[in-house]
Amino acid sequence: MPVTRRQFIKRSAGMVTVGMVIPKFWLSDAQAETIQFNPRRKLVVIQLAGGNDGFNTVVPYTDTRYYSLRPTLALREADLKTREGASTIISNQFGLHPAMAEIKQLYDAGRVATVLGVGYPNPNLSHFLSMDIWHTADADGLGSRGWLGKYADLALIGQPNLTAASIGSLELPKSLGAGKFVVPNIINFSLYNFLADPIYPGDYNNQINTFNFAASRSMSAGTFLGAINNTAFESVRGAQQVQRSVSSYRSFVAYPTNNPLAVGLQMVAQLMSTVPEASLLYVQMGGFDNHSDQIGDRQNDRNNKLIGDHATLLRWFSEAVMLFHQDLTAHGLADDVLMLEWSEFGRRPGENASYGTDHGTAAPIFVIGNPVRGGLYGEQPSLAASELDPAGNVRFKVDFREVYATILDKWLGADSKEVLGTGYSNVGFLG
Amino acid sequence: MASITYDEGAHLLRRMGFGGDPADIEEILSLGREGAVDFLINFKQTDNRALDDLLRSSFDFSDPMDFPRFNRGELQRWWFTRMVHTRRPFEEKMTLFWHNHFATSASKTGDVLIYNQNLTLREHSLDQFDNLLLKVSQDPAMLLWLDGVTNVSGKPNENFARELQELFSMGINDVVTGEPNYTEEDVKEIARAFTGWKFFHPRFDPNPFSYQFIVNQPEHDNTIKNIYSGKQWARNGNLGGEDVISIISARRATARYLVKKLFEFFVYPMDGSPGDKATIEKFADVYMTRNHSIMELVRAIFISDEFYGDRARFALVKSPVEIIVGAIRMLGARYNPGTSAREGASNNTPAAISIFLGQELFNPPDVAGWKLNLGWINTSTLLNRFTYADLLVINRPRDLNAPGLWLSHEQLRSLSKKNSKKTVKKLLSTLGPLEVGGEMIAAFRAYLESDDQGNPTGFVRDDVTLDKKVRGLIHLMMCLSEFQLN
Repeated sequence: MPVTRRQFIKRSAGMVTVGMVIPKFWLSDAQAETIQFNPRRKLVVIQLAGGNDGFNTVVPYTDTRYYSLRPTLALREADLKTREGASTIISNQFGLHPAMAEIKQLYDAGRVATVLGVGYPNPNLSHFLSMDIWHTADADGLGSRGWLGKYADLALIGQPNLTAASIGSLELPKSLGAGKFVVPNIINFSLYNFLADPIYPGDYNNQINTFNFAASRSMSAGTFLGAINNTAFESVRGAQQVQRSVSSYRSFVAYPTNNPLAVGLQMVAQLMSTVPEASLLYVQMGGFDNHSDQIGDRQNDRNNKLIGDHATLLRWFSEAVMLFHQDLTAHGLADDVLMLEWSEFGRRPGENASYGTDHGTAAPIFVIGNPVRGGLYGEQPSLAASELDPAGNVRFKVDFREVYATILDKWLGADSKEVLGTGYSNVGFLG
Repeated sequence: MASITYDEGAHLLRRMGFGGDPADIEEILSLGREGAVDFLINFKQTDNRALDDLLRSSFDFSDPMDFPRFNRGELQRWWFTRMVHTRRPFEEKMTLFWHNHFATSASKTGDVLIYNQNLTLREHSLDQFDNLLLKVSQDPAMLLWLDGVTNVSGKPNENFARELQELFSMGINDVVTGEPNYTEEDVKEIARAFTGWKFFHPRFDPNPFSYQFIVNQPEHDNTIKNIYSGKQWARNGNLGGEDVISIISARRATARYLVKKLFEFFVYPMDGSPGDKATIEKFADVYMTRNHSIMELVRAIFISDEFYGDRARFALVKSPVEIIVGAIRMLGARYNPGTSAREGASNNTPAAISIFLGQELFNPPDVAGWKLNLGWINTSTLLNRFTYADLLVINRPRDLNAPGLWLSHEQLRSLSKKNSKKTVKKLLSTLGPLEVGGEMIAAFRAYLESDDQGNPTGFVRDDVTLDKKVRGLIHLMMCLSEFQLN
């Protein structure tokens, strides 16, 4: 007879203490587990929310159409160098935004795959729908399960320790929405705890036992109540584990606290270096919806395209990724970690009148880490007037699900068809 | 006159407000269903002077440049003070609904303009929808938030035109027929209709909160706009933003979308079934036949059988604000906001906690607003809800007149009974009434009756038991999954 959570709690009533590891009761419930979980195949997803401007991230500096569509915003070839003067050109057609000095270094070291023209058919210009499409890998963005949630349901159920988490965001990204597996969502470690009255520490076990009794009651699946109860149980179980683990993290890398992505990636490093099973992590940074003030400084330097909102965000991205990579290297984990960067869409090639750009379609994405085969993949969409859609946007060249499939098949040891429903071709950045 | 039961009264107060203590609930029962709804909707007739006095003594918004007295935190403290202490809960709840609907963030607008917007939402919360939509669209916060101020003839910015249709009125697709409500071409045409919309602060106006709306003619596109081409509601002409708002407000797609949005905020989530579509149509008729009156529409919803049916009961997940304010009001906890931060004696605990629960007032995550129901729930926000419950019960101020949030010892006594069973039932009733099974009640009784080793010792309602076990029990009940539902 399978042991349910409820029976488990009944049997162990009065025994559960703060430091206790909850046994592998999930194992008996895991009927669908089909993927061999390999904790040394780690994936870190970096979502840039708001729609990152692909044309000013991987700059097509030889394309005259780019310059005619963006008289104010376009980066010239001469602009493609870092503050220190190092060139950010990566090929005879493309250069990275000059704020991405560290990404350029990693690119030169063969640690960065840039996939050009990533999008999907019938592009949706709504942030929310387009994000849902990317999260769910469904053409209509329907369903509550995300592509990584589906993977987690297949691969991670039954693992006794923390295997997955979203970091730094109050909201669990839809990519991690699972049917059964509860992905922990950790904003910061000190808050991630079940607290009771400090005046009566002796009552803590009574509190925990009563809480666990309540959170172990069987409730109908598919109801709000069932989902909340499931999450409640997992949250306290995970909190006890996280509290034990992360206090042992040590690092020589100084992550700047004013870089929101660096703060998140440091937490990822903390988990990965203290919980060996932690392998599916998710961080995000917003602010990319640059309808206005994408470049320049409103007060002084209105037309300076090397500064402004977009440059700041890309600098944070670049700096944070490098620090994280260095931290992983110091912990001997760099060979185990693949990073995937994505955004719900790129921006329109033609600039608007507000020193910004409106919602676009296909854009380049980055896959980063020691496991990747660096270089350029995919194909740059044409900016020719005849090739643009009626809204003035480009046509995609690589379906984002090809990127997912490549990662699922070649890195996570999954069958991408099972997760995505259909087969997609291998983009090639993992060999 | 349809009478209402105690549970129905509690349900109505939780949804139209933030829940109440037994006296609040008893007060509306005698009014009957329609009477209770009218009492809550016609809130302007309710004496709210105690709140007005409290706001006067607790806040000083006379000078927005005086940072310690006027900032985002002070605005949040102001709103939570209103929600906790108002005798007009529906005024606050409806304003919160519109804040979520026209989700605008102070991170882009600044604090002065977001405060102005809140006053606009308040003033027009039950107005004709056309008028609310127009006032919000012309309000400086929105003009800044969705880049209306940079939307100029020849270089239109589509941000507002898109969200006006996608989020503020009718949605991408009709929620009943599934037909697309507009095209990308419509977004472009409508963006042109709103070109030149600006605001300014009158030069010699001493009121720092005073702003005026203007259509700056040189930047306004005065050519023909062709919208909703090929449809029954197509219009072709030199349309301005006001025309577009009238056209949109008169579309049945807007009525349907608003009904669905109101239902999902106040009644229950809808699933697109034929039954739900029929419900949407029924209430869309109210909107269409009552001159787009929001007041008439919400009244029809709150007196409907749908609202009181089983499907609606505990069918929503409480928002952070509902958890925080609700617990205070239901338990009769004390929240003293103190005086303005400059004087060094203020307390902003509810707002600070709300941020950690996923709802920072005046700073929604994006223009689509907060994601409701399970969108509020993940392991982190749930742990933070438990931490809020903990903070509420463990705070024992020495000075009972000091600013803060706490449950008094006297209140614990009145919330408890002489034996453990009645105490458990009394508290479950106070916090809902929540329905839990016999096993859970037994577990709560066992908690009340056990010593630190978990051995049963019985229940004596003395001061130590009240301070340790009754506080602990309230904490545990607020951690119940049932308590997370509304």
